[in-house]
Amino acid sequence: MKLEEKRSMIEKIVKRYPEKESAILPALYFVQSQDNNMLSEQDVKDVAQMLGVSESKTFGVATYYTMFNEKPVGKYHLQVDTNIPATLVGAEEIVAYLEKKLDIKVGETTPEGLFTLSTVEGLGSGGTSPTVQVNATYYERMTIEKVDKLIASLKSGEMPPKDVNYNYGTECGILFKNRDKVDSTSIKTYKSNGGYAALKKARDMKPEAVLAEVKDAGLRGRGGAGFPTGLKWSFLSKEDARPIYLICNADEGEPGTFKDREVMEHDPHLLIEGIAISAYAIGSEKAFIYIRGEFAWIANILETAIEEAVADHQIADLDIVVHRGAGSYICGEETALIESLEGKRGYPRLKPPFPANVGLYGCPTIVNNVETLACVPFIIENGATEFKKIGTENNYGPRLFSVSGHVNKPGVYEYPMGTPLKNILSAAGGVNGNLKAVIVGGLSNPVMRASEIEDLRLDFDSCINAGTMLGSAGIIVMNDAVSIPKIALRTAKFYANESCGECVPCREGTYSMVYYLDKLVSGNGTKEDLNALSYLCKNIRGLTLCPGGDAAVMPIEAMLNKFQKEFEALANHKLSQNKEGASYEYHD
Amino acid sequence: MNITIKDRELEVKEGQTVLQAARENGIYIPSLCYHDRTGPAGKCRVCVVEVEGMAGLHTSCSLEVSEGMKVITDSEKVLEAQKLVVNLLLSTGKHDCLSCEQNGICELQDVAYYLGIETPAFHMADVKPEIDDSSEFVYLDHSKCILCGRCIAGCNGTVVNEVLDFGYRGHEAKVICDNDVPMGHSSCVQCGECVQLCPTGAIIDKLRRGKGRPWETHKVQTTCGYCGVGCQIDLHIKDNEVIDITGKEGVGPNFGSLCVKGRYGYHFLNDPARLKTPLIRTNGSFREASWDEALDLVAKNLNRIKQESGPDAIGVFSSARITNEENYLMQKFARATIGTNNVDHCARL
Repeated sequence: MKLEEKRSMIEKIVKRYPEKESAILPALYFVQSQDNNMLSEQDVKDVAQMLGVSESKTFGVATYYTMFNEKPVGKYHLQVDTNIPATLVGAEEIVAYLEKKLDIKVGETTPEGLFTLSTVEGLGSGGTSPTVQVNATYYERMTIEKVDKLIASLKSGEMPPKDVNYNYGTECGILFKNRDKVDSTSIKTYKSNGGYAALKKARDMKPEAVLAEVKDAGLRGRGGAGFPTGLKWSFLSKEDARPIYLICNADEGEPGTFKDREVMEHDPHLLIEGIAISAYAIGSEKAFIYIRGEFAWIANILETAIEEAVADHQIADLDIVVHRGAGSYICGEETALIESLEGKRGYPRLKPPFPANVGLYGCPTIVNNVETLACVPFIIENGATEFKKIGTENNYGPRLFSVSGHVNKPGVYEYPMGTPLKNILSAAGGVNGNLKAVIVGGLSNPVMRASEIEDLRLDFDSCINAGTMLGSAGIIVMNDAVSIPKIALRTAKFYANESCGECVPCREGTYSMVYYLDKLVSGNGTKEDLNALSYLCKNIRGLTLCPGGDAAVMPIEAMLNKFQKEFEALANHKLSQNKEGASYEYHD
Repeated sequence: MNITIKDRELEVKEGQTVLQAARENGIYIPSLCYHDRTGPAGKCRVCVVEVEGMAGLHTSCSLEVSEGMKVITDSEKVLEAQKLVVNLLLSTGKHDCLSCEQNGICELQDVAYYLGIETPAFHMADVKPEIDDSSEFVYLDHSKCILCGRCIAGCNGTVVNEVLDFGYRGHEAKVICDNDVPMGHSSCVQCGECVQLCPTGAIIDKLRRGKGRPWETHKVQTTCGYCGVGCQIDLHIKDNEVIDITGKEGVGPNFGSLCVKGRYGYHFLNDPARLKTPLIRTNGSFREASWDEALDLVAKNLNRIKQESGPDAIGVFSSARITNEENYLMQKFARATIGTNNVDHCARL
């Protein structure tokens, strides 16, 4: 493609955004797609020049995100998710098999240039693991046999069909009300089941009344923190001339979490209606859906649905832009997400000011999770009272539980808040093997021993009382074949890989935790290494610029404390051999 | 407004940060990524303090003062956090002070001293120096870089050369020039703003390497002679020789920033070929002369040319190295005294 054609494409992309720089990620995606899935030095220079930003900034953005390839890759780029939910169900075996089959190591390309093999962090597909992403396409629920078929098919130049037979279940029928419908993504299906009635009802109400209803419903954010949604909206100043932006956080990066994609992939109009009602309530005329970059096909589903909604005059007064991230866990943090949407590296901002005051482009901004926004149509259509009939006190409404790891039917299950964990595990087909440990809120939360979950109810408050957090309700189940120190090492690696590098304790702290855990797991660790780990966990907590540091240390600290004997066994094994002295000393 | 820091009652200005208030009153709170000119960044986390009635730790660089605030700078929690940061930095970088140019004026060294850290607490993989000496005047060692971002803020925000930025991420993150090319091959104009702002020995003046330790020099503040802006500079002098020039922080018009000439173009000072008196050429060779003799000769010849060939036989060419006022006088001299409009200036070249 000629430079001028590239320029006119990029100019089209620029028009979608209030500020030019926001086009940097889509522009980089575009030039990469025109250059054999690789971003050359010249591509970076071209984008910098076309968008009027410095080369260093463009290069800095390109190298921050994992989805840009600064080195050549094969025609088929095989990327295997090796995060914990995937590892629990055999992802490492798939990687080893691929290495043998293709006769290359991870990071290499076959000599004829057909395949490049990479391992990647969680792809938001923990319930359908193992997953092999081929270029932009997910191949989920993989087995060795399926890998054989996949490679054979790719060798003959054909992308095989996907297995989309995901497990799911619902007791509430609210967020999954269209889940089993044929053609569930179309506006026709959505409307035939009562869709967009809530939006019409909302428009007959005053925006303040809509906001009050959501506030009354006690809806709490489903992204992780559980902050009351209506209260968040009410932080917007009423007398402000600046535009207000609504951002739907569809980054879904928390390992063990794969629920938002269920809504977007199967019922995109539910999300669009939720966004439209919420935008009306807060007075926003421009909304963004920030979706994780790997969900390219889901971004297409959303864009088609938005076009349908526009054609059907449902969202005439609202412009919704689907913006793809490009591979960064931290961009799920709302200020990092805003920076990323502004075309920058995903560096979280210092707070205050908070986004409701200074957010996207310096304007008041509300960031809400997909599931949160998808709850809004039900609240408006049926009223806060009906919503509050679901769940437990202070924890109302339905919840999408992602269940992964050692269960017989990993998948997404819609149950009321406060449902006992045991019921969810049963819904997911029961534990495969003897239960050892569970993480209930996505990887960043303290692990629970089997003995601690007997009466555990899955709502925000019960989980806090039990010493963990409900977070994004990503339930990772581990049976007694699992080595917790190995899980701790993989956890630390994830956070080190995903640390943005902005602040010292997270950047170097996660790097150090990987060092010590690796030493322990490989049989070279000492008691001092264990002490170093505890010291790191204790002092990183509460010290980092964003919650990312806490997210990294909380699970590891819990693993160290609750499965101390496993770590000590590793450390003691080496203790007598390490006579040259401590490799670690720290100041009390 | 009244606040208490470290049990001292202070009167502070509204809108100030705790760190600014502490500094104004001579109370040391360690900091690395904060600089008066680049502002709070929240990156290093070493300036954390506790505040009575507020949970957790707070970065004093970004925390605004409020009436009655009680700030604790030396609780165990604060010191442990600061030690963690410094230990992590020392363990993951190559911070050997022995022959580092920054020894004695290094902000990381200051914090380590304050916390009593002798050797880093963590012993991990050995870190190798990562030198970039491709630039003529700026010397980089990425292994001493703590990624505070001050150089980047200065390059993009103050001098707007837009050469530096962060590249890559996490532990692999580094300060890059353009497309991560060596500085000498980049679009850098070597203004040295990054050197001026660097808190450690990661970015230093190349020309001063090995010329003397900070405590062996004394500083003389003067005005840069290269142009009429009047930038304030500090000459760093050892044994009567200028071994470095830095911009004077906190003083206008430049507040520390300089251009490549002002910062690095000082070697003429001690050059043996430097002109110290006017020279007059007779019979094809120069001889030293006094200013009076030289000026008399010039005046005499200008008069002669004007009388013989008219004023337009003379042209006046002036220099950017003199002030605006002097340049004004020069054209006035051309027009009023000599009577010609033949006036030009080296900045037009």
